[in-house]
Amino acid sequence: MARHASALPLLGAVVGLLVALPGGLLRPAERPPSAVPDGAVALVNGRPILFDDYVEQTERETALPFRQATPAQRARVLREMVDEELLVQRSLALDLPENDTDVRQALVGGVEAQVSAPVLARPIDDTALRAFYNAHRADYATQGAMRVRNLLLHVGGYADADQTTSQAMEDAAEAAYQLRAGTPVAAVMEHYGFTDAPKADAGAQFDFAAKLHLGDALFAIADTMSSGDVSDPVAQPDGVHLLLMSDRRKPHVAGFESVRAAVYAAFRKARQADAQAANMLVLRRGAQILLAPGAAE
Amino acid sequence: MDAARFPVPPRRRVLWCAGIVAVLFLALAAVVHWRHGAGLRHELLALPPDDVTGRPALVRYALAEAQPLFAARCASCHGANGQGDVSNGAPSLTDGHWLYGAGRVSDIERTILFGIRAGNGRTRNLAEMPALGQAGLLQPAEMRNVVAFLQSLRNRNSDADAAAQGRATYAGKGHCGDCHGADAKGSTDLGAPDLVAGKYLHGGGAQELYESLFLGRHGVCPAWYGVLTLGEIRALAVFVHEAAASAPAAPAS
Repeated sequence: MARHASALPLLGAVVGLLVALPGGLLRPAERPPSAVPDGAVALVNGRPILFDDYVEQTERETALPFRQATPAQRARVLREMVDEELLVQRSLALDLPENDTDVRQALVGGVEAQVSAPVLARPIDDTALRAFYNAHRADYATQGAMRVRNLLLHVGGYADADQTTSQAMEDAAEAAYQLRAGTPVAAVMEHYGFTDAPKADAGAQFDFAAKLHLGDALFAIADTMSSGDVSDPVAQPDGVHLLLMSDRRKPHVAGFESVRAAVYAAFRKARQADAQAANMLVLRRGAQILLAPGAAE
Repeated sequence: MDAARFPVPPRRRVLWCAGIVAVLFLALAAVVHWRHGAGLRHELLALPPDDVTGRPALVRYALAEAQPLFAARCASCHGANGQGDVSNGAPSLTDGHWLYGAGRVSDIERTILFGIRAGNGRTRNLAEMPALGQAGLLQPAEMRNVVAFLQSLRNRNSDADAAAQGRATYAGKGHCGDCHGADAKGSTDLGAPDLVAGKYLHGGGAQELYESLFLGRHGVCPAWYGVLTLGEIRALAVFVHEAAASAPAAPAS
């Protein structure tokens, strides 16, 4: 029994030695004196600057491989990176994301870029592209153009101060008949007392410009006319109008192949918009949004 | 000796003691191994990335660490042996041709960290292959001529006229040289492949080339920063670098 009793302390000593060895006698892993984590070149208020960024920035600024950059060059780059990190942290302290619209836009843009990246990476199926074009044909209609002359007969004009609107309409109808029969415009204008309407533009113009000059009512009539047509008299507050369409090119939907570039760009934009909308849905679902009484989204 | 107070035979007591000592030695060995690994892990990251390959022990450590990571994270696109996959446009990692940089560990690490067209601000995203056909920038005949020209660069086209017209389109209307270079040898600044060496991400046959021209290409390599640790990323970069350095020269696609 005495032999076993003396063996136990010895066993305990051996166990203790084995536990102590890893902490003391074995050479510990070498650690730098600073607390900069592995993979970082600096720690700024607890935020790491990646060593990889440091290498990239040094090579970009010096146009040299990192190994060949001098210590002074590397130090300058690191100083700049530390300054940038300090300013970024300062921006957060100043709550710039809340107060500065440029910062907010940059942040929003960054998130949107991340959302768009996988969407833009997906190749576009040509069938889908054509289907998109068919669903948005109106977007690819070319502008119409016209060369139209707008003649105006003032009611109670100089020739007949007591002329009524109905009489003026009769005169204008007769003038239209004459014009359709080929009577020169100048002669008809002189005989019946027509003038060119104000803001009239007898030159060729796109439909949107013609609409501005003619007004909605007269443009609606002009839009139905073809080259060479003379309109029926149109009574307006300023008198009776006759439209002479000398050249009409109606808008038409451009063929798919001719607008491929526009369709392609619009399709990608639509895909991005769908991705952004889906992302917003997810963000809203997970958010707590309170509105003040009376406020509505 | 009082056998009644010590009922365990002496031989069994010795075995018990030996077992305890063995367990303790195993524990000690595990601690030593862990501390050694921690030391290597630290050293792997403490060095500039391009200096790691000069330390055989670190390289061995990195390869061991990266092997399962590559299998789990990279092989699904780049293939089990890093040979690439033209069906998804994932480039070969072992043929010595790099889309970005010069194949240094730092270049590879940068790609792993922030990806390619991965959506973050530091991702590689200076250019993408435009959809010349789909966007209506080139007509089908023009694209066919460009294909003929590209194949002529590798002596695989017999229609000299088409190749000549394709060369003109390459340099002119197609603006291909803006990214791939006037000599068609690519640009590692822009990630534009070397067309003379035949490094086509989606295949070098006439049909594949036409599709690349028509559809454009916008491959994505995910950013692993924040997903993998910096040590894992460093290990993977060393792994890919060593795989490329040790692979035999592969024929062009």
